[in-house]
Amino acid sequence: MLFRNRDFSDRPTALRITGLSVATAGSRTNTAILSSIDVTIRDGETVCLVGESGSGKSVTSLAVMGLLPKGSLEVTGGRIELEGQDLLALDAGAMREMRARRISMIFQEPMTALNPVMTVGAQIEEVLDSHTRLPARDKKQRVIDIMEQVHLPDVERIYGSYPHQLSGGQRQRIMIAMALILEPKLLIADEPTTALDVTTQNQVLKLISELQERHGTAVLFITHDMGVVAEIADTVYVMRHGEIVEHAPVETLLRAPVETYTRELLTAVPSLIPRAARENREDAPALEVKNLTKIYDTRGMFRKGRQTRAAEKVNFAIRRGRTLGIVGESGSGKSTVARCIMRLIDPTDGEIRVGDADIAKLGRAALQPHRKQIQIVFQDPFRSLNPRWTIGDSLIEGLLNFGQSRQEAMKQAAELIELVGLPRDALKRYPHQFSGGQRQRIAIARAIAMRPDILVADEAVSALDVSVQAQVLKLLDDLQERLGIAILFITHDLRVAAQICDEVVVMQHGHIVEHDTAHNVLSRPSHEYTRALIDAAPGRSWDFANFRELATN
Amino acid sequence: MAAHPQPTSAMQVVLGAIQLPATFRVGFGPILAAIVLVLIVLATATAYLYVPHDPMDMNALERLKGPSETFWLGTDPYGRDLFSRVMIGGQVSLLIGIGAAIVSVFIGLMIGLVSGFFRTADAIIMRIMDALMAIPSILLAIALVALNGPSIWSVIFAITIPEIPRVVRLVRSVVLSAREEPYVEAAIALGSSMSKILWQHLMPNTLAPIIVQGTYICASAILTEAILSFLGAGVSTEIPTWGNIMAEGRMFFQIKPELIFWPGLMLSLCILSINLLGDTARDLLDPRLKKREA
Repeated sequence: MLFRNRDFSDRPTALRITGLSVATAGSRTNTAILSSIDVTIRDGETVCLVGESGSGKSVTSLAVMGLLPKGSLEVTGGRIELEGQDLLALDAGAMREMRARRISMIFQEPMTALNPVMTVGAQIEEVLDSHTRLPARDKKQRVIDIMEQVHLPDVERIYGSYPHQLSGGQRQRIMIAMALILEPKLLIADEPTTALDVTTQNQVLKLISELQERHGTAVLFITHDMGVVAEIADTVYVMRHGEIVEHAPVETLLRAPVETYTRELLTAVPSLIPRAARENREDAPALEVKNLTKIYDTRGMFRKGRQTRAAEKVNFAIRRGRTLGIVGESGSGKSTVARCIMRLIDPTDGEIRVGDADIAKLGRAALQPHRKQIQIVFQDPFRSLNPRWTIGDSLIEGLLNFGQSRQEAMKQAAELIELVGLPRDALKRYPHQFSGGQRQRIAIARAIAMRPDILVADEAVSALDVSVQAQVLKLLDDLQERLGIAILFITHDLRVAAQICDEVVVMQHGHIVEHDTAHNVLSRPSHEYTRALIDAAPGRSWDFANFRELATN
Repeated sequence: MAAHPQPTSAMQVVLGAIQLPATFRVGFGPILAAIVLVLIVLATATAYLYVPHDPMDMNALERLKGPSETFWLGTDPYGRDLFSRVMIGGQVSLLIGIGAAIVSVFIGLMIGLVSGFFRTADAIIMRIMDALMAIPSILLAIALVALNGPSIWSVIFAITIPEIPRVVRLVRSVVLSAREEPYVEAAIALGSSMSKILWQHLMPNTLAPIIVQGTYICASAILTEAILSFLGAGVSTEIPTWGNIMAEGRMFFQIKPELIFWPGLMLSLCILSINLLGDTARDLLDPRLKKREA
């Protein structure tokens, strides 16, 4: 079965939001954040709210929880009813009781939502303590029981563990256990799998639907990821600018979207079908990495040192005008490789050949002339530009370092800013005046200002909305066409890798487990880890952009 | 582009660092504090223009007199005019406060930047700072004054030394977190020199916290000066400072409490307003530290 095709029309309504409006409070101009939205969720149903950042999906969930930040956001109209009871009419105390017993929530980042100085068992018990009176033995039994339901291994040990001793997936399971122990009517999940690796994400999604079926919980699932929607939703609500654009059962929405915006959103989802192969060029590689190894020593004063092999014997080469992707989950060593190549950290062993020179062992001064040839674009567009500098100053920083005059450099910056699709007057403005996608364009302009031979893109599109992601990928492709740079593209997202890479390297635990053309890696993976990654990619059998099943070849 | 004639000057860096929130309201308290402080600074700075007597001028016939038309606040045990002494004494106290704040912030900034950026230097510097912090600051100051003699500069020096480690730790912590920012790594990748990264990328991050720290150091330096003088380890006794005046007045405290009251009042007003302004500066420069409104 491709989608969930369950009918809920005869089930009682769990949550009904009618005409809900939220606006900013406190200032003279009250900007509307949500304008009159309607959402209905029935018992046992999963409703997905999808939309890009700023569309108001999180505000909707906070409004339901009664957790809108006081003094900055307020409900200006509408009703939120849980089983017929109006939540907006409740006072703070009644709402608090409501939150634990009948509505609960799981968040994106379980590490920050858990108390780091309490064992997770005690934290789950705390939920019971504040809302029920149970003898100690029953209480512990109930906690152990819910921990078994969320499929935690070795429950007795984990009961006494602290959050930092658990993996991200385990922490999210603990959060789910805490949310479900009082058997709430409604579970709100706000991007609960976004911070997790794909394989873990897949397990958590399965877990949520399994528990939902067992307890008949209504789930409001907030996500930006269409793949996740395809996996878990019964009904989908598409949001934009604080309004519901369209809502429909999942299959209807993905197969025959009505609104233009929904179509755009779906079309922007990168496909898992790799790009058409480009002709292979046989010139010398722009970047060649040989036996690159990075070992971290954790040396104690009294105990024997332990070694962490972040990357071991990594080999690959990229030719001009080609893109090589490094794909892997967190901790696979892909970012370590990128940072070694940039010489932001010093590799333990191996060669990094840029052109004819090996830069792996060069000192700071000897490295300086080679810096020009290899540039990087980081993941987080909000932190990769100095907030106190104008865009112009940021763009010419590198040029000035290599002896250009300020005037010349500024002229070049003006050309670059237009090349990446921003107006010239952007040069005089500051980073906070730009959106994430625009800032990423600026970061790319800063990197290519140096006329590098190699561009390292470290998760460069991972923090962006899908439509912006598509534009930035297109920009990178155009620049490559025009300037002939080699791109080393590091990503955890197979879909993105499929769109831009000629070759893909799959890394696991610091080792390369597979290295082949993008086409072969994605359609005929030879290593079981690669297969696991592809199988875990949410919505892998659906071709979003063409509104149909993926053609199997 | 012609629109960019001047290069990034130090002033631009400083102004860029202080990003005031779009809307900020300052309450009544800080405004009053600012007025009080400005009045105290103006009154003491221009004191020689209007004080009726030479603050050092002794007069055996006028000992311990009450307020009168010639001696507005009365006289001290040596017949010197208390009003003149308090106003002139403020000059030295404020000079020491501001001097100690500027010197310790400046030296602390230099050491802190180096310590935060270079790992090897860090290990050595921070152990020295730990050692300095382990010695009670008043004890250290007394020892330093004893070594260098009781001049204003040696008192400033003696107060500055124990304050430096606190500034160093503050600057270092800011640099340690700022150096992990991708824009700093991007600058390394762009081939920027160490000094450029230190001064143009990292240093501006430290300005807001050290301005705030500077006001606290200023207040505590004025207080430390008073304590040193009170203990007889401060500026030599013939130069009037608020601490000196109070130290001398303590013998006659029961007969004539004004001898301690007036310099004490000036001292308290001064420190209260500096601290209030420091808190306001902190709230404006770093809204995250602001106490949450209930």
